This record gives sequence, structure tokens and C-alpha cells, in this order.
Amino acid sequence: MTSEIIWIQLFNGITLGVIYALMGMGLTLIWSIADLPDFSQGGIYIISAYSAYFAIILLNFSYFFAIPVAIITGMAISVTFERLLYTRLRASPNAALLCAIALFFLLENIAVYLWTPKAKIMPSPTKDMILYFAGIPVSFQRILIIIVGVVLFIVINVFVKKTKIGKAIMATAQDREAAALMGINLEKVYITTWALGGALTAIAAALISPLYAVYPGMGTLPLLKGLVVVILGGMGSFIGALVAGLILGLIETFGSVYISVAYQHGFAFIILLLTLVIRPQGLFGRR
Amino acid sequence: MKTIEDRIKTVPPTKLIPLIIFAILMIIVPVFASGYILFVAVLALLYASLAASYDLLFGYTGQLSFCHGAFYGIGAYTAAILTVRFGFTFWEALIPTCLLVGVLATIIGYPALRLRGAYFAVTTFFLAHFIYLILLNEVELTGGPLGFRGINPPEPIGFISFDSLSTYYYLVVVFFIIVVLFLYTLVNSNLGLILISIREDEVLAESMGINTAVYKLLAFVIGAVIAGLAGAFFAHFFRLLHPTTFSWLLSEMVVIITLVGGAGTLIGPIFGAGIVTFLLEFLRFAPELRYVGWAAALIVILIFEPKGLIGLLERVRAQIKKKG
Amino acid sequence: MLLKVRDLTKSFGKLVAVNKLNFDVNEGEIIAIIGPNGAGKTTTFNLITGHLKPDTGSIEFQGKNIAGLKPYKVCRAGVARTFQIVRFFPNLTVFEHVLLGAISRAGLRAKREELTEEVDNILEFLNMEDKRNVLAKNLTIPDKKRVELASALALKPKLLLLDELMAGLNPAEVDECVNLLKKINKDLGITMIVVEHVMRAVMKLCERIIVLHYGNKLAEGTPEEIAKNKKVIEAYLGEGVEYA
Repeated sequence: MTSEIIWIQLFNGITLGVIYALMGMGLTLIWSIADLPDFSQGGIYIISAYSAYFAIILLNFSYFFAIPVAIITGMAISVTFERLLYTRLRASPNAALLCAIALFFLLENIAVYLWTPKAKIMPSPTKDMILYFAGIPVSFQRILIIIVGVVLFIVINVFVKKTKIGKAIMATAQDREAAALMGINLEKVYITTWALGGALTAIAAALISPLYAVYPGMGTLPLLKGLVVVILGGMGSFIGALVAGLILGLIETFGSVYISVAYQHGFAFIILLLTLVIRPQGLFGRR
Repeated sequence: MKTIEDRIKTVPPTKLIPLIIFAILMIIVPVFASGYILFVAVLALLYASLAASYDLLFGYTGQLSFCHGAFYGIGAYTAAILTVRFGFTFWEALIPTCLLVGVLATIIGYPALRLRGAYFAVTTFFLAHFIYLILLNEVELTGGPLGFRGINPPEPIGFISFDSLSTYYYLVVVFFIIVVLFLYTLVNSNLGLILISIREDEVLAESMGINTAVYKLLAFVIGAVIAGLAGAFFAHFFRLLHPTTFSWLLSEMVVIITLVGGAGTLIGPIFGAGIVTFLLEFLRFAPELRYVGWAAALIVILIFEPKGLIGLLERVRAQIKKKG
Repeated sequence: MLLKVRDLTKSFGKLVAVNKLNFDVNEGEIIAIIGPNGAGKTTTFNLITGHLKPDTGSIEFQGKNIAGLKPYKVCRAGVARTFQIVRFFPNLTVFEHVLLGAISRAGLRAKREELTEEVDNILEFLNMEDKRNVLAKNLTIPDKKRVELASALALKPKLLLLDELMAGLNPAEVDECVNLLKKINKDLGITMIVVEHVMRAVMKLCERIIVLHYGNKLAEGTPEEIAKNKKVIEAYLGEGVEYA
């Protein structure tokens, strides 16, 4: 195994890790606010990817303008679900969970119905561009993913620490009743949280689609990986999501090369189980 | 004054008559029904067994599992592999299938059931997908994406052969009735009350001397074994297995059926399975829209009538009583 | 000696909730654990019933160390409890509630018909026969408490821990409760530890009182001794104690 290949795999692992981290950040936000692993984000992932695809194919958008289309789609669906459904189920966490999974199921089946199970290739100017770092070929798409991931991570951290609504969200995540007593507008917090979650999911989907294709079943694995990232990283922790995402991405990539390609998704499962057994609060978990 | 029998009982006395009619219908269906209806009826009975066994775990014990379909798949493939590759008869294969599914469910359930609600749900969801991946990837064992073919119908018992659809239908009816009687007895027994108490307040149940971990595991394993058995019947009925049949989407359909029918009543999920299966088949012209419709139905149920169709029926009956 | 608590200690981070607690309970006694809020009373209960694991110390029940055992094992050893905030099974009827206790004690194979008589007797004892088929979620709080108590009695415990059973009862109800508990103690031979803020009840009901303060045993004695104890009075001065 030449060192060149190791560097390539390293790069791939980090890229994958960033995608997982983005999913994780959205999920950890929602989970820490509403006590809900939002499975519907899996469905939102799918629909956002298709929206970007159709913006490019039907509306002739460039890839870079298709990304905001995905983001808007993701945010819109996410907030709609929250306002229409999750709001009414706050009293029963079980019902909310069942609803989330049903929504995921619903969206995936809509995708199959409307667009068939056949995979679609999303064109993007960056995916075929290859840069060479020290003789190592690197797809520009992956560089894009990493850059966007880092930037978003910084932006979100700034957002929750410096903006009013961001701080309100963090406070609500810590203690919902106290936050309400302090006069925080919980409804605004919920809407913003879900909007952010949907946006992050959509960005992840839009960024990775050129590399892997767009198809109705594309949401299951990113969702599951995102959930593992939340649990490994620690509930409500963005740095935890980033670190956990990277760990998972690297383990999957190197694991698929050195151990097993067919079961590369099994690593996430093993990590999930180990975390729940050894350190249930995750790496950076608070509560 | 209602006695406890009426309260815990899954079938209030007034429902007994419709049930008898239903039983009679079940028995005479093959006489007048076409092959297609019969085919769907078999599927409906299998799904009803799936849903009823899931209700034990979810409706009665309160465990939010999303991998029930996976046990159906494991049972199907295990039985098929035993009969096709290892020369077992269908009947001989049933016991090892039960054992395998039971052992697997115990190994999975023992650690998993210690997890709190959402974590347990996520873990079972992951499990469902993981088992699907195994079925898909272990091509030597399962045939993978090309499917597992060449499964024969069960060997004849005496003079009864199971080559024809109607005899196989009756076989499944017998299986279904055994499952229902078993579950019915169970949920109305002392064990049933213990499971319900775990659902209602696990901490209190434990304070009252109940080893909740063991009972949760028991419900999980019993449910899984019944699902596995149903899978074995499915394999020798459909005679072709494909991993996509057993993805998490199937587990979700089981959840939908159980909840839409009315969780915690046994009868709700059974009728839910009947309605869902038949409607799914009759709406074949709109393939995935059928599933979309059912997902939407579940969401409507969750928001408006958490007790499902049974709850709706009870409400209607209460209204009628008021007026009468 | 039914219960021997030795050097029982439990901390939550830096907060020492229970500090080297020592006390005994003899068979047939009714004793009270009292103290200002945060004194460690419920924590002590939770340590005894297995809902918490002690850091150090031992809890010997009928000669067996039960410290750190799981709650269901402690219950099976003969210790039952009620909770500070009443716990119940919402969709079970009163009858089923108590029946569950009976099943837990008698085992899975026990016949319902035999248990039914026992359950009905307990319901009669507590004046709840008319509510036999009411769902627990539809009961008033005092009735929920009675069901909690009835279920505990169905377990036929040797030791019963009652956590603020009388909170929220008016004086007449308190007296009724005291008499009921005395009857349970005498007729059924159940030893009791009672955590209470309602001093009127404590004084009437208990032979011995243990006073906790910030996790330490401040005093121990008969009701008369405790009422005159200077340290106890001081500890309570800042708190509003119900002389109901």
C-alpha cells in the first residue's frame, strides 16, 4: 500500500467525516432541544438532493446555485414538519419518534413514486476537477466539502455563542423549563432549530450527491451515521459531532480498505454499541 | 360492572359475534375466492401474525422496537436455507429456525433492552438495516440481490399435500389461529399483567419486585420467534426471497399496521393487517403511493387517535350508547 | 433487629447527601425519619430500596446485606415502599394494581381466583372496594396514594417505607391515615419507616424519631425527647414545619 493511497484514503475519510458531522450537527441540535432523534431528516436529505438535481437538470441552474435550492427545500420541509406535526406531539416523545420515522418512510416512498428507484447522477463542475497536492490527486468536490464543513462549523459555533437566538437555543437545550421562565420564546427556538437542522441536512446531501448519485434510498445510511455521530459525540455538542464525524469517516474508509468493504457500514453500528455500553454520554456529552 | 376479564380482555364480549363471523369467513374463503384473493389472504394472515407478535412487544410491554421485520427475514432465510441447502423438510426446519431466531433475539435483546426509549429505538432501527445489509451481502448464503430461489412447498403430511394454494392457505390459517390463541392467553395471564405494568410505569413495576429486564427480554424474544416462524411460512409460500422485502421499510409497515389498528389490543393489529394488506394489493396501480398513504394514516392516527382504529371504534360505540 | 444501617454514605459530586448514617429498626416498630428539606430523607429511602447505590456503608435487612441490590431484589427480600410523588399505572384498574402486587409475591403460576380473594380483602381493608374497577389515572390523589399502599400491602412486606404519604391531606384525613397505619402495623405485623413533614402525624404514630440534617443524624429519640431537643428546634427554625 503506497503512501499515496493512504493519503487519498485519509482525504476520503475526512470528507466522509465532514458529511457525517454536518448531519450530526443538525440532528444533535434537534435532539437536544426536543428530545427527539429526528428520523425525518433522512427523508429531508433525499428530497433536498432531488431538488438540487432538478434545479440543475430542469432549471439549468449551476451546481452552486442548486445548493441554496436544496437548503431552502430542506429548511422548508423541516419547519413544516415541526409546525404541523411535532408541535402537537411534544407531550409524547414516543409519538414524536414514531411520527418522525413515518415521515422518513413517507418521503422515501414519495421519491420512489415520483422518480423511480433508478439512480440519477448529479452533475457538478467540481466533481471532475482534480487538483494535485504533492502529487496526490484530489477531487475538488472533496475539497469543497471540507471547506464548507469547516466554515459551517465555525459559523454555527459563532451563531450559538454570539447571536441572541443562538444563545436562546443553547439555553433551551440545557433546561427547557428554565429557558421558558427566563422569557425565551420557545416557539422561535423550535422553528429556528428545525430550520437549521433541515439546512444542515440539505447541505450534506447537496455536497455529497455529485460523488455518490441521487436515489430514493440514499437517506438511510447518512441518517444512521448522523445518529451515531450524535451519540458518539455527545448530545448537543457541535465539537462532539465534528470529532465523532471525523472518527467515523476515517474508521469507515480505512476499515473498508483493510477489513471489509461489504460491511463498512457495520463499523458505525459497532461504534454505536460500544458508545452506549462504555460511555453513553458520548465524548463531549454534558448531561 | 366490568370485571377485570373485560378490562384486560382484548375482545370485549360484544365483539365475539363479529369474530365468529370472521372465523367462518376465513374458513370458507377458498371455496369462492379466486387465486389472487387467496394469495393476498395468506399474506394478510402472515402480516397479522407479525403485527400481533409485535403488539406483544410494543403495545403490551411498551418497547419501541423497529427491527421486527428483520426477524421475519431471518426466519424466512433460515428456513429456506435449511430446506433447500441442507435437505431439511419444512417441518424439520421449523424448530431450528425458532431456536436460531430465539437465540439471536436474546443476544440482541439482552443489551439493547437496557437502553432508554430513544436509544433503544435507534439501535433496533440500525439493527434492522444491518441485518438487511447482511442478507444483501452474504451472497453465498442468501443469494444476495439475485434472490434465493427454489424453495419448495412444505412436504405432505399423510394425505394432505401443500402444493395447492388452498391447502397452504389452510395451513397458514392454522398457524395464525395458534399464534392468536397463544398471544391471547399470554396477555390475559399473570405474565400479561406484568408486561402491561412495565409499559405503564417501569420504575414502579421494579419497585414492586418485578425483574423488568427479564420480562422485557421475554416479550422481545417471544415476539421475535413468532415473527421468525411467520417468515418460515412466508418463504415456503412465496418460494422466492429477496433482501429488499426485509428492509427497515417492512419493520416500519409492521409498526404502522399495529398502531393504525390499535396498539395494545391484539385485535387491532390483526384487523389492521387485514385492511392494510388487502388495500395495498388492491391499490397496486399506485405502487409507492400506497405506502405513502399508510404513512400518512399513521401520522393522522398519532395526532388524532393514538388508540388507532380500535380506539375510534370505541369512541363511536360510546357515542351510540349515549344516544341510545 | 430487622434493619441495620451502618455508616451509610452517598454523595452527588461535591454534595454529601447522606453522611455516615447509623440507625436500627426493630421488628414491629414504627419509626420516623424527619428533617428539613434536603436533609437526605428520600435519599436514604432510595439507598435502602436499591434505587441508589451507596458509596460506602452497609444496609443489613434480616441479616442480609441489601446495599446496592436492584430494586426488584430488595422488594423480594421483603421491603416495600411508596413514593414521594405518587406513582401508579395509569391504565390499570385499582383491582389490577393490587393484583400485580399479589402476583409479584405469589409468582407467575399463582391462580387468579385465589389471588382475587386476597386482593379484595386488601381493598376492603382500605375502603376501596367501590373503586375496584376504576382506572388508576381517573383517581384523586388521596385515592392514588391508597392504591399505592394497597399494592404495597399485597406484597406482604416485612418492612414498609412510606415517603410523605400524608402530604396534602387535611387534618381529619391525617388522623384517619395514622389510625390506618397503626392498624396495618398491629394487625399485619408490618414494620414501618415513615418520612414525614406532618409533625402531628409523626408524634401520634411513631415510637421513635430520627432527625436528619444535611445528611447527618442530628438526634434520635422518642417523640417527647425530640420535641424538646434544642438542636432539632434550631435546625427547624428556618423551615416552616407543619404542626397540622
